[in-house]
Amino acid sequence: MSAWLSQVRLALRAAASGLRASLATSAVAAVTIAVTLVLVGAFGLLVVNMERLLDRFGEDLRVSAFLVEGLDADAQEALRARATEAPGVLSVELVTEEQALDRFRRSRVSRAALLEGLEDNPLPASLEIALVPERRSREGLALLIQALEAIPGIAELGYGHEWVEGYARALSLVRGLATLLGAVLIVASLLIVTGTIRLAVYARREEIQILELVGAGYAFVVAPFLIEGLVQGMAGGTLALGVLFGLYQVLVPTLRGSIEVLLGDVQPAFFDLAGSLWIVLGGAALGMLGSAAALIRGPDR
Amino acid sequence: MSQGGEPAAARPDALVRLFHVSKSYQAGSWALRDVSLELRKGEFCFLTGPSGAGKTTLMRLMFGAEQPSEGQILVLGRNVGRLSRGGIPALRRRIGVVFQDFKLLPRRTVEENVAVTLEVVGTPARQARSRVFAMLKRVGLQHRRHHYPRALSGGEQQRVAIARALVNEPEVLLADEPTGNLDPELTVEIMDLIADVASRGTAVFVATHDHSLVSRYGRRVVRLEGGHIAEDAPPRRTRP
Repeated sequence: MSAWLSQVRLALRAAASGLRASLATSAVAAVTIAVTLVLVGAFGLLVVNMERLLDRFGEDLRVSAFLVEGLDADAQEALRARATEAPGVLSVELVTEEQALDRFRRSRVSRAALLEGLEDNPLPASLEIALVPERRSREGLALLIQALEAIPGIAELGYGHEWVEGYARALSLVRGLATLLGAVLIVASLLIVTGTIRLAVYARREEIQILELVGAGYAFVVAPFLIEGLVQGMAGGTLALGVLFGLYQVLVPTLRGSIEVLLGDVQPAFFDLAGSLWIVLGGAALGMLGSAAALIRGPDR
Repeated sequence: MSQGGEPAAARPDALVRLFHVSKSYQAGSWALRDVSLELRKGEFCFLTGPSGAGKTTLMRLMFGAEQPSEGQILVLGRNVGRLSRGGIPALRRRIGVVFQDFKLLPRRTVEENVAVTLEVVGTPARQARSRVFAMLKRVGLQHRRHHYPRALSGGEQQRVAIARALVNEPEVLLADEPTGNLDPELTVEIMDLIADVASRGTAVFVATHDHSLVSRYGRRVVRLEGGHIAEDAPPRRTRP
């Protein structure tokens, strides 16, 4: 254990020494990572807000389960409780016959005349069921419908099938585009970062040769470079986060009109803590991967 | 099996054994051709020959920096040509190597340059410090241990390189033109140091084209010409 700790200490010392000795190259690598992460992050911010907009639309998604006639209040409440247990249910609201009639009258004044002259209320009681965000898809909806259809006491189900399809398509499109463009940007940044770090490795090729000459194993040689890549990446990620936050603070008030057109009443938001950590950790991963790729493709390997 | 084949018998104290070793970098041109030799424990052998004779190639083959095109190389019982990727570092930890251009780490002090050999084998820091100090004392540089290589003379830098090569008590020392960059006075100083290593049981192989040096020490001489062994002369009786 102490030998292992000793090797870690040596790797950290060598990495610190390497960073000190090549401050300019390290700064270039960190800035390169920061620039690429600003691009990826700006796009990510757009996707995050687009998803919030779609989530906002998704909140309106409801399944109406019309109950059979003649159920008393206890039976209706029991059905409501049972529907709550169906997969993917966020909330269930019971709409009694009276409430349904009241809503109908208030929502469609011109059709209110249709109900005049009727002695009985023709509208059934229903359950208004909202889905959890992750189940707002074609498959999630199908699972819910299947579960609700198996509940005795539910006469009919109503849901905006086309609306769900459209919503799911829009969400898939945004996520697909995000994944594709994100992957392209990450690969491009990895290549740029690899090129930059490779220069640093090349500048120290003699040091690598000397270490190998005295019997240093692969891990002993590459560990300091990976640590350096990690530090450069974290610095780049933190810088990128700062730049993104600065740009966000400046651009959101300036472009408020355009943002309202794009997002409607959804308020634009910056990355939360987890998102911010992803940027910094993404930079660290990029730096380490860049170092690893530079060492694999290095001039003496 | 390669063209050279395995040896029928060898001396039990042979630490380095080459059997019909050839090395070619391009078709039809041989840097080394059919070289066979042995180096025993405590033996001091000069490798001489004009530039391009194959001295450096032979050295590089022995510490696994190159693979032979033909033949077998056994160093400390390991077949260098068949070593895995992880096997080469393990072998190099038992071999000391010294070069004409010293190959010191410029951003590490004298002490750290010597310690690197012990670091790669995981020697505890306290033990490493005391062994490094003892080795620097042996080469007369203990007072320079906190200096960086750029602050040292050529002779001092080579002494650091020798200290680095010896601090892990290697069984074989390979020195490729170790005095090529030094003036005659320093050359003798460095060669005395290397000769002392052989007297302690290490097999020493020194590549040089300095005939005066070879004459002065009167040790075994292997002379290469055009990649062949032209002469393998035993040591003379009188030594400095």
